[in-house]
Amino acid sequence: MICDRIREQIPECLAGRLDPAARERVIDHLDTCSACRAEMAELGAVWRGLESMPEPEPSQAMRTRFLEMLSAYQEGYQEAQRKQAYAVPRKTWWAGLWPSRPAWQAAFSAALLIAGVLGGRYLAAPRAVETVNSEMAQLRGQIENLRQLVTLSMLQQDSPSARLRGVTYSYQVAQPDQQVEQALLHAVNHDSNINVRLSAVDALAKFGNNPEVRRALVDSLPVQDSPLVQIALIDLLVQFNDKDAAPELRKLAQDGQANPEVRQRASASLQKLEVSR
Amino acid sequence: MLEVRAGDVGKLEELFDRHHRPLFRYFVHLTANRAASEDLVQEVFFRILKYRHTYQPEISFRAWMYQIGRNVHMDQAGRRKAEVAMPENAGDFGGSEILPDRQVQNKQEVALLHRALAALPREKREVLVMSRFLDLKYDEIASVLKCEVGTVKVRVYRALRELGDRFFALGGERAS
Repeated sequence: MICDRIREQIPECLAGRLDPAARERVIDHLDTCSACRAEMAELGAVWRGLESMPEPEPSQAMRTRFLEMLSAYQEGYQEAQRKQAYAVPRKTWWAGLWPSRPAWQAAFSAALLIAGVLGGRYLAAPRAVETVNSEMAQLRGQIENLRQLVTLSMLQQDSPSARLRGVTYSYQVAQPDQQVEQALLHAVNHDSNINVRLSAVDALAKFGNNPEVRRALVDSLPVQDSPLVQIALIDLLVQFNDKDAAPELRKLAQDGQANPEVRQRASASLQKLEVSR
Repeated sequence: MLEVRAGDVGKLEELFDRHHRPLFRYFVHLTANRAASEDLVQEVFFRILKYRHTYQPEISFRAWMYQIGRNVHMDQAGRRKAEVAMPENAGDFGGSEILPDRQVQNKQEVALLHRALAALPREKREVLVMSRFLDLKYDEIASVLKCEVGTVKVRVYRALRELGDRFFALGGERAS
């Protein structure tokens, strides 16, 4: 019984987390009990052995992805706070204006109705084109931001179907956005689901003007384990007419370990790229 | 974390810098998959943002983070139905600082220890990783596992005992 209690304290003793009194009790017991001494020696060897095990280090890309997520979240959060800040004083303002007596309420309503009719007539008149255009541009900008946020958030979801919807949603982002572009590239390289990866490759078609995207797609070729994704990447690089992809395609075409169809597609693409040179 | 909860979400960057490495190691020990572990870390910090208002300062941030981490891992493992087994070469995590003359012997021992750790049942591996590699205190582990401190004490001892048995059995020898 005493041995059981002492042995349960061995890991804490090895980690140096026992208080001095408890540690003293363990040491006193070990002096008199050879079985517990042997237990301590064995477990001590294992405990110290664990220290020699190399610790895995995460990639730098993980921090970048986190910062992107945080910044997207902050933008959405600040936007929501701004809206809230507008909403609160308005409520107080209306409440303060509304008269308490029914007669005054009726008169106030009639005044509002007249003001509404007159205001409507005034607004129906043609307004300055510049003002309308600027409002429209502002509205479009807000919708665009919202689309980017929705895309980024959906690409973070656990469910592959939600991530697929995120990729599909990215088509609605009209302006090429760096965060969306990075999220799609990450999906191409790291998503566990092949369908998400394939859709992300297709969605990146509109980012072809960006040399960094083209470079990242070329780099992705040798690390992909799915022949379907590799073929989709090769087709996209041919679509971009990316001459810089030629060395990697040549390597793939000559790689005995690669899937035969991938090799075939790589060598056909090389010919296409050379013909268009 | 209290500042993050109050709306200063930018402060999460500091918490990420302080805790993402041990969290990543926790997941690597559970999944043996680096890419999946990076995704899991990302998901944990996303959930921390999303559920920041539920944080209660009665437990440490670390314990709360690992509670979320555990849920995220279980959700994912549940979806995949079967847990990924640790491959036998999972010990190749990175460089080693061991001196050359002891390298061969130590490399073999470390590889054996890794195989023994990978072969432990998930619950035992988890509690041992928390105690040995993440340096969590027993009361923090108890918060994460939602059990008593006394239970944690017994579990860590049993996990270490079983690891020892498996390690010495693999090596074909026992310490005298």
